[in-house]
This record gives sequence, structure tokens and C-alpha cells, in this order.
Amino acid sequence: MPEIEFNEEEVLSLASQGDRDAFGQLYGRYIDRIFNYVYYRTGNLHDAEDLTARVFQRAMNHIQNYTDRGVPFSAWLYRIAHNLVANWHRDRSRRQEIPLDDLPVLPTKGDHPERNLVRSQEQDALLKLIRRLPPERQHLLILKFVENLSNAEIGEIMGRSEGAVKSLYHRTLLALRDQLGDQNINLEGE
Amino acid sequence: MARSRKTTISDEHLQNLEARLAGTLRPFQPSGELVQRLRERIHIPAREEIALRLRDWKKMFLVFGGVMSGLLLLITIARAFFYFWGRKHM
Repeated sequence: MPEIEFNEEEVLSLASQGDRDAFGQLYGRYIDRIFNYVYYRTGNLHDAEDLTARVFQRAMNHIQNYTDRGVPFSAWLYRIAHNLVANWHRDRSRRQEIPLDDLPVLPTKGDHPERNLVRSQEQDALLKLIRRLPPERQHLLILKFVENLSNAEIGEIMGRSEGAVKSLYHRTLLALRDQLGDQNINLEGE
Repeated sequence: MARSRKTTISDEHLQNLEARLAGTLRPFQPSGELVQRLRERIHIPAREEIALRLRDWKKMFLVFGGVMSGLLLLITIARAFFYFWGRKHM
């Protein structure tokens, strides 16, 4: 089936005028990305679903205020998602629920259901360390590995230069390496 | 004493860590059911809210209109009584 041409500028303009079908197109285009972001930041499906719905509800309610300042629309959505996830973490710490590290590892595309349940200890450990990183570093890693974006694209979304992204990425890797060392976690093959 | 930390990372170590990150942070494809459920959750409640607001607004308009019409009717009847009955006794 041929893919329908998606003119984001036009769709955004219609959506900001209250056109729900246009907003539906934006939803279809960005749902996976926002869900993945929230999923990796929260670590569980239920909250990821709830927060993703709230991200799009908030976006729909405020899209008339959206102005194109030359940054991708996804940056605006990620900003909403970032704020909601931050609130979620704050509320969670107040309620003192199950520590995030105890949450099950996320299943990923293409995994056999049984493999989803038995993820390697190494990946568990790495995920725990990633979730302890500052939010912007987590965001960077999600954009780089989950979204497979280049440093330039990440820079557009995060409002940083390509060089700044590269530098932040390098510092993130160093931090991860140090934390792995602190916890005596030796990645297989090292 | 604080342990000194290396501020560089060897290429081999970097590639290894990146490979592990790539293996851990993989894109997750939400199921079609979940996407649809979220779509409904985002769209339907909002529509219902609007419909409810409209319904309430209509209700309020009807109530207000009804009260005003009732008052006008009462005033008209009172004036009619006054006109027919009041004049005879003047």
C-alpha cells in the first residue's frame, strides 16, 4: 500500500486549528517514539501507557499554542513527556513505592516472550545504571539507541549543538563505565 | 582517598559499551491494540467532555428561558387581572 504523503507543516497547522483528524495523524506518527521514551524512563508498561496518553492529551489541549520556532515538533512532544515523567518520578518518590530498580526489564521488539522474561543480568544491570543517570543523559541515550538518531538530530530535539551532544554522550559513557566499575560489573567480552 | 578516574575511554571499551547499550536500549513497538486503546482514550473522553459541556449549556439555557417565560406569563396574568378586576372597583 503506498504511504500517504505526510506534510507535517500542513498537518500541524490544521491540528492547531482544532482539526482532530490532523492531530490523529500526528499521534500516529509520534506514538511509538513517545511511548518508547516514557517506557524507558519509567520502566513499566502500565505507567508508560498512562503517561503516553497524558502526553498526547496535553499536546492536544495546547497545540493551538504551538509555534514553529525551527525545532522539530517531536522536541515539543518530548518536552511534555519529560515534564510528565519528572512529575511521575517526584510523586513516586513521595509515595515511596517499589524502587525503580526492582521493576522488570522491558520486553523489546522481536523478542520471544520467554526471552522477555529472562533478560540477561548484564542488561538488567545496565538498565538500572541508565535509569540512575540524570534525565537529559537518559534522554540522549534513548534518542541515540532507541530512535537511532544522529548527534545533529539529537541536538535539534534537545536544543544543543552537535558538538555539545557529542561531548555529553562521551561524558555519559564515562559515567556509565565508572559506575559499572564501582559495582564490579564486568561486561561480557571485556 | 578518592580514586582517580580516567577521563578518556579506549576505542575498544567504547565500542563494547556502545554494543551493550544498543543491545539493551532497543526500540519497543507498542502493540496495535495498545495504540488503538490510547487513541480512544485520548479522543473519546475529550469528545464526551465537549458533549457534556454542550449538554449542560443547553440545559442551563432551557432552565433560564423557562424561568424567564414563567415570570413574563405571571406578570401578564397579574396585569390582566388588575386591568379587568381593578377597574370595576375603582
